[in-house]
Amino acid sequence: MLSCPLVEVYRLSLLSRRFEERVARLALEGFLPPMLHPGAGHEVSQIAALAALRPLDPVIYSHRGLAYMVARGVSLQAILCDIAGRVGGTNNGKGGIMHVVDPSRGIYGESGTLGGGLVVATGMGMALQKKKSDALVVHFFGDGGSNRGPFHESLNWAAVQKLPVIFVCENNGWAVSVPASRSTAVEDISLRAIGYGIPGHIVQGDDPEQVFATFAQAADRARAGQGPSLIEIKAVRLLGHYSTDPQDYRSDVASASEKDPLPKLADMLLAQGLADTAALSAMEQEIERQIADAVAQARQAPLIDAREAMTDLFA
Amino acid sequence: MTHITYAQAINRALAEEMERDENVILYGQDVAHWGGIFKVTNGLMNRFGEERVFDSPISENVMVGAGVGAAIMGLRPVVELQFADFLITAADEVLFKAGMWRFMHGGAFKVPLVVRLPSGSTGAGPEHSTCPEAYVMHSPGLLCAVPSTPADAKALLKQAIRNDNPVMYFEHRMLYQQRGPVGDADDVLPFGKARICREGRSLTIVAWQFMLSRVLEAAETLAAEGIDVEVIDPRTLSPFDWETVLASVRKTGGCLVVEEGYRSLGVGAEIGAMICEHAFAYLERPFRRLAIPDVPIPSAPALVDYVIPSVAKILQEVREVMKG
Repeated sequence: MLSCPLVEVYRLSLLSRRFEERVARLALEGFLPPMLHPGAGHEVSQIAALAALRPLDPVIYSHRGLAYMVARGVSLQAILCDIAGRVGGTNNGKGGIMHVVDPSRGIYGESGTLGGGLVVATGMGMALQKKKSDALVVHFFGDGGSNRGPFHESLNWAAVQKLPVIFVCENNGWAVSVPASRSTAVEDISLRAIGYGIPGHIVQGDDPEQVFATFAQAADRARAGQGPSLIEIKAVRLLGHYSTDPQDYRSDVASASEKDPLPKLADMLLAQGLADTAALSAMEQEIERQIADAVAQARQAPLIDAREAMTDLFA
Repeated sequence: MTHITYAQAINRALAEEMERDENVILYGQDVAHWGGIFKVTNGLMNRFGEERVFDSPISENVMVGAGVGAAIMGLRPVVELQFADFLITAADEVLFKAGMWRFMHGGAFKVPLVVRLPSGSTGAGPEHSTCPEAYVMHSPGLLCAVPSTPADAKALLKQAIRNDNPVMYFEHRMLYQQRGPVGDADDVLPFGKARICREGRSLTIVAWQFMLSRVLEAAETLAAEGIDVEVIDPRTLSPFDWETVLASVRKTGGCLVVEEGYRSLGVGAEIGAMICEHAFAYLERPFRRLAIPDVPIPSAPALVDYVIPSVAKILQEVREVMKG
């Protein structure tokens, strides 16, 4: 089995982290609306998961973060234009940051309502199966979304039809301001897999090798026609539900930052001799340059013509 | 030309489209092995196999949501929701996913999905009796077909399946056993073209499906009294053929909508508003609506008959409005 490309996972995670920080600053400056649901803390596992799949396996992603798009190479400038309502984005001002899309990179968008992605991803798996494709669908959602009815309907449907779907619950313990202790009766969402007769796995969000191996295993199962898997990533939410969330409902902010998987991965790269400090520093500089270029280009893009609101409804 | 029932016409449209396009799949509760709770899909599983015609669990959210997912990947799913009321059970998937997935992703996808919605009361109680077309009309991104005859049922369903957009296809249960002429040819009706079922100069009446048959019956009695009504079947509510209805109102000077939905903010309310905006100067008498009063549709036949517009109520309403 292939091993996890740790340096690349780190590079993309860092790119996503720095880009997201820049988006939050641009929102404070007024260039963008503060609509971001930050994914800080989730990037390493999101990117390790996608690294275990094929580059065009369709993804339906979740609210939290930009790493899904960054991992698939969607241009940063296009993402900025989507957020800023400028020409050059991917959804022509219709969906903003929530609905960045690029089917040519396997990015099939997102449901604004939680749970909505589960059912759509299930149907995509149904189409792949009927078309006898060996692609699979991966769908990321949060622990909050796993309490909605569509979770149950989708997992049961996908299991009974043996659909090629990997359901990924990114469990960071928070549904907006409500902790899992007050919303969810089980500690591990993956336990629910038993109820659908499918494998349930737990992976640690700061262990990219474990994430990679588990997704590779679930992918093999899906491609072999054996059906879906439920993978729970134990994740940490470093920031608020949205970028300007004061998080005054939360007492674990400081302890959460100690669990940040990104510096831990950097330490691992150094310890294993996969990179040295000079290489990491050069990587950081290259990322800053890449982001600065994208921001400069997005600033020059014209605002979307308001009449665009009347297009794209019907085919 | 053969005389077949409305249910047989739907079955024939499904069979012909599945024959024509291998991407068409059909699923829903009881549709495969049992041939549908109303027997509309009888024989299709045997003909096309369980890969393409299959039974689903009682899971309306994923039934419709998976239809959207399958549609954006190139299939043409036809989903039966057993009772049109269940449109509301799957509201997120119908209104947001089917209606908006294309729009909110900037036109990146096509959503060629058909949801078949058996509607109308057979005394099955408040949650199994409604005609919820108004919800669809109120929701951007959805098309809405309301065929009234076997010929239209077949031709509009074929159009719905070939259309690249989500179509809510209402099939009225009280019409399933009605027979009518259906051409053997591959007829497909465009959406947004109303049919003038009866020409007249006294008053325009807009009605569809089961109410249309009652209006046409009432029209015979009214003609004998010298009231010559023009009857229009819109065939599709989204898109709506405003041109035909407004032209008729400009000719007759009045309009009555007879519908099987709830009165407040129903389809009739929208038709009345459009007439006020575009043909007010031509009105010689007030616009009127005959609809379900704002109560759930009950179960007992006597109560059902009381709330659903009857031929007698249609006659009374027309006579009143013509008195001025």
